[in-house]
Amino acid sequence: MGMWGIRVGPVLGLAAGLLLGASPLAFAASESPADGVYADHIDWGVIMDLSGPTSASQAVWTAGIKDYIRKVDDAGGINGRKINLLVEDERFDASLDRIAFEKLTGQTPVLGISGMGNASAQVALASTIRRGKVPVLGSYTTTKAVTEPPTPMFYGGFCGYKEMAQVGVGALTERLKLAAPKVVTVHLDTAGGKEYADFVNAAAMRHGGSSKAVPIKANAADATAQVLEIIASKPDFVAVHGTATTPVLLMRAMQQYGLPTPVFGMAYIGTPIVYNSLPPEAGSRYSFVSCFTPGGTDDSAGMKAMTESADKFGHSAMKDDINYVAGWVIGQLVTEAIAKAGPDVTREKLVAMLSKGFSIDTKGLSAPVSYTPEDHSGIALLKPFGFDYATKRFTGSGTYDEARKYEQ
Amino acid sequence: MLPQVLFSGLALGSIYGLVALGFALVFKATDVLNFAQGMFVVVGAFLAVTAGTQLHLPFALTLMFIVVAAALIGAAIQALLIRPLTGRSMLSIIMVTIALSIVLRALIEIIFGPQPRALTTPMPTGVFIVEGVRISQLHMLAAGVSWLCLGLFALFFRFTTFGLQMRATANGHEAALVSGINVDFVNRVAWAIGSVLAAIGGLFLAQLQLASTELEGIGLLALPAVVIGGLQSIPGAIIGGLLVGLIEQLASSYVSPRSADIFVYTLLLLVLMVRPWGLFGQRELGRV
Repeated sequence: MGMWGIRVGPVLGLAAGLLLGASPLAFAASESPADGVYADHIDWGVIMDLSGPTSASQAVWTAGIKDYIRKVDDAGGINGRKINLLVEDERFDASLDRIAFEKLTGQTPVLGISGMGNASAQVALASTIRRGKVPVLGSYTTTKAVTEPPTPMFYGGFCGYKEMAQVGVGALTERLKLAAPKVVTVHLDTAGGKEYADFVNAAAMRHGGSSKAVPIKANAADATAQVLEIIASKPDFVAVHGTATTPVLLMRAMQQYGLPTPVFGMAYIGTPIVYNSLPPEAGSRYSFVSCFTPGGTDDSAGMKAMTESADKFGHSAMKDDINYVAGWVIGQLVTEAIAKAGPDVTREKLVAMLSKGFSIDTKGLSAPVSYTPEDHSGIALLKPFGFDYATKRFTGSGTYDEARKYEQ
Repeated sequence: MLPQVLFSGLALGSIYGLVALGFALVFKATDVLNFAQGMFVVVGAFLAVTAGTQLHLPFALTLMFIVVAAALIGAAIQALLIRPLTGRSMLSIIMVTIALSIVLRALIEIIFGPQPRALTTPMPTGVFIVEGVRISQLHMLAAGVSWLCLGLFALFFRFTTFGLQMRATANGHEAALVSGINVDFVNRVAWAIGSVLAAIGGLFLAQLQLASTELEGIGLLALPAVVIGGLQSIPGAIIGGLLVGLIEQLASSYVSPRSADIFVYTLLLLVLMVRPWGLFGQRELGRV
């Protein structure tokens, strides 16, 4: 009996009951369904091309982000909540991007969105993204429309075109000991391709050289026209923009014409399939620049963790693909951003946290990933990579920091 | 430069012609515009990947595997999807072939994953140099196989009983039925042959670049080729393919890659306006 003649047992029981009953209420208080945040999970959106012309690279990226999120969920999630990825297939069609974006911001709201690998769609949606409340964190492509000037609603997640052009031109100019590099850029006949060719031209001019842009169709079956143009231009090296088939067609045609000119590709086309499709004498002349470290290149802690998970989740064949690594890194970026925004995360709190500056340590899987209030591109450094046919492994040249000298 | 461009265009056009030949054959025998022909090219490419790269079969067995599997797929599609629609409108059948193309793409992506596959075969990759013109051995082989197929089919239609039955069926289903021809079997064989021809085109295209579902777009260039040549004409399909290949290479080399589509489809429009039955097709006359 207690001091006022009340039995203590039932009182303690009631108190315990209130406490127990209050705990779900406490969780309910931190829910924000309009932001995709629930008591037991958080909805996060991904918009990528999973069945269109760029699905070969974007679906691999999606597998990478899914695997990282699955690893986090298997370990208990973030602050007791699992991350539920809502993946929308935009088939590289800007109109479908808009539908997917509207769906993920209103109909089935998400805390944030990753991917958005369609540059044209990104430009079209730029004002909507800037005016909206849903942050895009870790994009697969980054356009000027959403980064210049930076907006608190957009954070890039892939190597920039400008940096790829600068490092590729700089590294080859140095390696070949050229005073004034003469470059040919073979690029897809698209807005992105033309932009890349312009960046290569600017980088070549910076070294006192010049460049010529030669377009190619995305679904070309032959690169004879482009190679004849290369023969006529006599460049010191060639830059390539395109999908995986572009360097394959180009290198094979160059081999047919006996052209020994070195070629460098952008990060997206630094994939095992390109090297596996080329004979070693042609493949050894092809290098690429990347801000992500392809699987198997080294034994860093990040590489070991990614390899282990890829094997566990049945994606061993993808781990050497730069796009898988990029997706994995963005998975880490998303989960760490959500964790840092706190247990009562909302879109507003996430944006407030991101806009102050944010960085993650990928433990060797990429160049530093860092955002400042003035720069939302995220990954600025890159370095050249090649492929060793004897060991069947990618090889990197120097460190990401060493390649800083090539960037303006 | 011009001889080089012309040769590349003719070689590439030969592959388009091969795929177009299959398209024309199916249309000639069954009156079906098969919009899944581009995806049959992709199926051929992945059959080659399965046999050559995954099962590591010798090349001769790989070829047999592609031919047999593609023929079975073509025949099965005719039996399961096209035959039940006999007598239905052309639009219904076209919708079925479009749906078939979407289903095949999804199946391939589920089975093989999203990444393209490299095809490794012992097909030659070197070059001949003739009078300064570099001739790709692979292009030569593709052109040779295409012309061999054309020759064999010309002989088949001209000199075999079954070829005669196919021609008779193409001229009129009812008349063929009355004459005792198993029209259903003839149609099935036409689909099997169309599928095999597309698959051989897929083998060459996958060797030229990569095995991926994006080959469908290249395979579908057979459509303008066959319309330009004449939907009912076997030689027209081949020559239409060659024209498309030549135009594509000339436009890419002297104007811009994107302009190739403009030139190809402008020719298509001109042919449809001036000679709707195609350059080598026969004008159909109806009595009222």
